Amino acid sequence: MNRAKSDLLQGTLDMLILKTLALEPAHGWGIAQRIQQVSRDVLQVNQGSLYPALYRLEHQGWIAAEWGTSENNRKAKFYRLTQEGRRQLDAETENWARVSDAIDRILETA
Amino acid sequence: MQGPRMTLRALVFKSREEREMEQELRFHIEMETEKNVRRGMTPEQARTEALRVFGGVEKVKEQCREAHGARRWEQLFQDLRYGARMLIKQPGYSAVVVLILALGIGANTAIFSVVNGVLLRPLPYPREDRLVVLRQSAALTGQEDVGVSPVEMADYRARSRALADLVEHHNMSFTLLDRGEPHRVRTGVVSWSFFDVLGVKPILGRTFQPEDEKPGAEPVLIFSYEYWQSQGADPKVVGRAMEMNDKTHTVIGVLPPVPRYPTEDEVYMPTTACPSRSGEHARTMRGARMLTAFGRMRSGIPLEQARADLAAVFGQLRTEHPEDYPTAAGFQAALLPLREELVREARPKLLILLGTVGLVLLIVCANVANLALARLLHRQRELALRTALGAGRGRIARQLLTESALLALAGGAAGLLLALPALRLLTAFAARFTPRAHEIGIDGTVLLFTVGVALLTGLLAGVAPAFTRQDPTVMLKEGGDRGTSGGKSLRTRNLLIVFQLAASFMLLIGAGLTLRSFWELEQVDPGFRPERVTTAAVHLDWNRYDTEPRRWAVLDDLMKRVKAHPGVISVALGSAYPLDGESDPWTIELLVEGRAPRPGEAAAPVDMRIASTDYFSTLGIPVLQGRVFTEADHAKALPVAVVNRALARRFWSDRNPIGQRISFDDGESWRTIVGVVGDVKQYGLDSKAADEIYRPFAQYAIGAGNLLVRSDLPPATIEKLVRDSMRAIDPEQPVDGVRTLEEARAESLAPSRLTTTLLGVFAVLALVITAAGIAGILAFSVSQRTHEIGIRMALGAVPGDVRFMILRQAARLVIPGLALGLMGALVLTRVLTGLLFGVEPTDPATFVAVSLLLLGVAAVACFVPARRATEIHPMVALRSM
Repeated sequence: MNRAKSDLLQGTLDMLILKTLALEPAHGWGIAQRIQQVSRDVLQVNQGSLYPALYRLEHQGWIAAEWGTSENNRKAKFYRLTQEGRRQLDAETENWARVSDAIDRILETA
Repeated sequence: MQGPRMTLRALVFKSREEREMEQELRFHIEMETEKNVRRGMTPEQARTEALRVFGGVEKVKEQCREAHGARRWEQLFQDLRYGARMLIKQPGYSAVVVLILALGIGANTAIFSVVNGVLLRPLPYPREDRLVVLRQSAALTGQEDVGVSPVEMADYRARSRALADLVEHHNMSFTLLDRGEPHRVRTGVVSWSFFDVLGVKPILGRTFQPEDEKPGAEPVLIFSYEYWQSQGADPKVVGRAMEMNDKTHTVIGVLPPVPRYPTEDEVYMPTTACPSRSGEHARTMRGARMLTAFGRMRSGIPLEQARADLAAVFGQLRTEHPEDYPTAAGFQAALLPLREELVREARPKLLILLGTVGLVLLIVCANVANLALARLLHRQRELALRTALGAGRGRIARQLLTESALLALAGGAAGLLLALPALRLLTAFAARFTPRAHEIGIDGTVLLFTVGVALLTGLLAGVAPAFTRQDPTVMLKEGGDRGTSGGKSLRTRNLLIVFQLAASFMLLIGAGLTLRSFWELEQVDPGFRPERVTTAAVHLDWNRYDTEPRRWAVLDDLMKRVKAHPGVISVALGSAYPLDGESDPWTIELLVEGRAPRPGEAAAPVDMRIASTDYFSTLGIPVLQGRVFTEADHAKALPVAVVNRALARRFWSDRNPIGQRISFDDGESWRTIVGVVGDVKQYGLDSKAADEIYRPFAQYAIGAGNLLVRSDLPPATIEKLVRDSMRAIDPEQPVDGVRTLEEARAESLAPSRLTTTLLGVFAVLALVITAAGIAGILAFSVSQRTHEIGIRMALGAVPGDVRFMILRQAARLVIPGLALGLMGALVLTRVLTGLLFGVEPTDPATFVAVSLLLLGVAAVACFVPARRATEIHPMVALRSM
């Protein structure tokens, strides 16, 4: 794996986590499952980089964590989106739309 | 949730954070395992697969911690805690390292506090950079400082535009009668505004005012802080009346502790109160140059401009009074910044010492780095484990640097403790070269320096181990302790040893040269025999004994009384004695009969001494020609003189000087030379003998002199004898300065001895540290090569072969070290030239001796490891593989 590719994925992973949490709070494993399901298994979340990403987002104040009970009645750490996180998600979504639009146009004209 | 708060939480509740993180990750793995089970795997398979997909749990944790922002601080704490634990677990290693560091850092702290107090800190005067010394010199007759006369003072003061004020100072010795007790006090005679120019505020009372210097003013005195302290620090001293020169003087103030320059005066008086300064000669003769002049430059005027201004004034004076400024003498006037003047003598010595301890510190760094590298090899297993558990190389390096810094700080603290007692010795050392010595102490700057040096040392010593590449797989496979992957680190260690050897060599050469120079000084023939001679200074009151016959009567009586005592071999009186270390030369200009000076020729000064009849026999100065003084050379007899060999050579070369006549007063009176005596090193064993002329005491009875007693009696008995004799004649005349001439001679060698001792101590320190380093690396290498040596011995190598092998390895370190040191020394010892006497900075004998010494020490350092190598039993060595 070269570094450029994983960096790109990391930035994208942040956005996907924020989007997933915008729907409802979830624990780490749930977030990974959800991204996989919604993308119909196209996007495989590297579980090793999921948790560092969550800690980073929490440190930046975009998501917050609290302990709750999971669907199978176990103690789990649930993450939810903060106000700041919502603004960040909006900014990133907008940015993503612009970039992908630009890339689309290049691919079409080329 | 904000960053800093979380960081704090992460630190304080670290264990909870860690617990929660573990719980969260465990939950993830369990969920994943359950999912795998649902897909039909066995529980074991499911768990293994979940862990595989997840990747390294510890690694993820590490990344999470990093992402959480607590990382940097937490790590530092972690490193510190871990490091401290590691160091405590190895008390032997830690103690050795802290000790070595303490020696290096302590030496640097001590020397730096001297440099700081003397060279770096500004003088304790306001706007001290504006203060200057006005100095007149006659370079062509070898006089660096001829002084300034009161007449010249007035001229400079009136004409200089660059100086806000110019004040004078000269030093006298007076008898102070305080409540009936006579004390001899060194008295600074100064202009009324002297302390205002310096900006010194009294701690008690006041300083002088213009009225104090008016002729006929009430005599007043100011105490120096040191004298006030020595007299009991009476807080009510101001207003106390004391007798001096038969007049009542009132104490008006006490000074704070400030550098006392040019002499360490005990009390101060205004110029008009000094009998000699207010005399006719001093007030009217342009040539009566008895003063030191201090000035304060007007604000805004740079030194260069002030110098130009002074040069202009001096030019005028020379044009107006050409006879007083003979061009042939190279007469000049110059302004020197006071601060430079106060440290002129001390600076080169301090800089050399600073360089020396700097080198010692580098040796210490190299040595500690070497110890750390050796220990690193024993820690390979531990470090490899940490690497495998997710610690990056940077993390390991940081850990090692932290440990190194921790040790260095401990070493710094211990060094500070070592520096404290050394400081008293160093202050005594510095006091011989500068009046600023009492400003030496440990202040904030010094503490900052110590911490800085400690951290820098820790960094320097830690850098090599920290960046030695660690390959975890190799280290784990090798099984830790006996890993042989240290090839590269061994090379680094060898280089460090070579460096230590080279630096030690240079330090030893420096110490060797000063030692050699000191030895040369010791061998110098002083021209007199100091053994068994005790001296005591007598001073007769100026007013009570105001004529020569009165003074001579007392002094002659004193000599006769002392000589009458059994056990006294001979007694003499001189205006000074050799190597007294205090008296300025009393120089006069000599006129030789029949040898009129050519116009414009500089009259070179000669030293004048007054000597009683037994002076030469008491001091053991040989009589080379003619005779010395006898009882017949009394005040009414033919004026006679004795000259030394240097003066006889200068004026009469090979001709016989006996019977020749000379004059001190431009030909008004003549005196006949009756004898020639040997040259005496009056001012120092390292200075060349001056041209000297002696006059009989009976024909020129001055009021102060040094009694010289040759006797087998102990000095204390002689002191009592002289005091009792003087008291019997006049109890108000003090006797002081009692010491033996042996002591005076030793004292004159003290600066040289102290410099030699200091350089020697540092060089020996460096040598011991380096020798330990060599022994350490060889012992280590032997223990690494146990198997190899065992095999060699099993294959028939005899102990001699093994010893040779170890010695060859040592030689590969020592020879490049010596070569490098030799080159460095040839360049560096040049800075010592000013300190050396009778020995070249490239003295071959010293270089050979130091090389042999270093080789010898290296051989001893090899001895233990080499013997251990030969004692390796092949079977034991092979079995332990």
